[in-house]
Amino acid sequence: MTHKAKEAVAAILFILPSLLGITVFYIIPYIICFIESLFAGNKFVGLGNYIELFSNYSFTLALKNTAIFTLIAIPLLMVISFLIALFLNSFKRISAFFRSSLLIPVIIPVSSLIVVWQVFFEDYGAINGLLNAMGLESVEFFSSPFSMVMIIIIFIWKYCGFCVILFTAGLANVPNAYVESAKLDGANAFTIVTRIKIPNIVPTIFFVFLMELIYSFKIYREVFALFGDYPDEHVYFMQNFVNNNYYNLNYPRLSAASIILSVFIIVILLVFFIFERKRGYME
Amino acid sequence: MKKTKSVFKYIILILLTAVFLFPIIYMLANSFMQSGEIEKTLNFSEETFKSVNLIPDMFSAEQYYEVFFRRAEYLLKFWNSVIITLPTVILQVVFSSLAAFAFAKLKFPFRDKLFFIYIVLLILPLQVTLVPNYIVMDNLKILNTFLSVILPGTFSAFGICLLRQSIKYISYSSIEAARIDGASYLRIFTRIIIPQIKGGLVTLTLLTFIDSWSAVEQPMIYFTDKGMYPLSITLSDIADSDYGIIFACGVMFLIPPLLIYLYGENDIRSPFTTSDKL
Repeated sequence: MTHKAKEAVAAILFILPSLLGITVFYIIPYIICFIESLFAGNKFVGLGNYIELFSNYSFTLALKNTAIFTLIAIPLLMVISFLIALFLNSFKRISAFFRSSLLIPVIIPVSSLIVVWQVFFEDYGAINGLLNAMGLESVEFFSSPFSMVMIIIIFIWKYCGFCVILFTAGLANVPNAYVESAKLDGANAFTIVTRIKIPNIVPTIFFVFLMELIYSFKIYREVFALFGDYPDEHVYFMQNFVNNNYYNLNYPRLSAASIILSVFIIVILLVFFIFERKRGYME
Repeated sequence: MKKTKSVFKYIILILLTAVFLFPIIYMLANSFMQSGEIEKTLNFSEETFKSVNLIPDMFSAEQYYEVFFRRAEYLLKFWNSVIITLPTVILQVVFSSLAAFAFAKLKFPFRDKLFFIYIVLLILPLQVTLVPNYIVMDNLKILNTFLSVILPGTFSAFGICLLRQSIKYISYSSIEAARIDGASYLRIFTRIIIPQIKGGLVTLTLLTFIDSWSAVEQPMIYFTDKGMYPLSITLSDIADSDYGIIFACGVMFLIPPLLIYLYGENDIRSPFTTSDKL
């Protein structure tokens, strides 16, 4: 056997365990799911289930909320964590204590924190207490458009530190010589950030984006923990729709919803990868 | 001038840290309060604004006593969480590191295409795969067993991506040298690769642990027996009823991940800080 063939065989063996798992728990389910989505009962209906879904109020609501959340929370989180990373990088030395505290929010399980959020956000919670003391009106975080705001705040609080660590690592690797020579040329702080730092950490930005995308779909846990099975309509996400439909065991409808959600994500990913490949950041 | 600026910066830094740490401190402080005091804080039916208080009127371990000695059900749920989490973490770290090695260092046909498929499949949120998985589990006859949550949880794109990234920074020359000395790929993997990606492994362990530790969706759908529910689900329920022990339960639940974090802390930042690109 040639060296090359040997290497390929070894590679396949290394991948085999995960490939098997992925086939059984992801690929096969997908195929089943797709087939189910084309039937109603035992009758082939083609795209019927899909069309029906789009006229279903709770589905379109879920789709809308999921899109709003993704489009607002991810960019916001990226900007905030980037700014904090710049801020931390401006220190010459930072004690380990500050750095450790950054990851604490990711470490604490959602369920441990429910009470804390309730004390803060309830109608008679601490935040409203503060607002009232300042003469402002109470905000109903659990039953108004502000529930989306609350979920976004929690999301940012939770993953901010993690993203900051990724960004600081990226920033630390921007060659200091670039920054120094720009300074000599009279560039101000803003130009240095936009023209030198950001272009040099594009791979990091991609990685952070990918991570945030993965995490943004896990926000359901917070929603469930805070609202239970039937949340306020402003935070009724795709995941709620899927979960609630389990109890009716409406497989065709569920399958169609799953496929739509997958397509939604695959499109985002494809754009992401094409862009990345074009710029050659993959390696 | 310069001095005021740096004092100002430190104040911001301390405020930031306080924001990140606050919930933990709050939980801890409240877990040592008596149930009467907690009730005052948490009873939302009374129409008065809650204040956030951090110092117990009277220090008491009553909540912990309740959880550990009087209410066995919470310890049982805790145990359920352990049964689900430990195998998931171990299997995931093993499978991911094997695959990551092949994707990072070995050449084989369709490598990049396969990697793309991996990422796409595994990045899909749980809610998408829950339904199809349910059907497969049903056919495998493992619904309502711990396996139904453990097995799918063992495969993750995140693990493979993260470790692939760490492995990439190991130079080819050490691998080539080992090949020439006649070492098998398995030997290269265990002797050269693994010792050099400790940071990645610890990070993956921690993140997988947290993920599986706080799993809510899978057990809720795959288990019909509520006695098998992990503590993560139960905690969402007791929030409304059992004021007396909620904080102690929360603290008990966050201790395992916190311990792993504190233990591996120095290794955890290394995959992000030593590599020049992510």
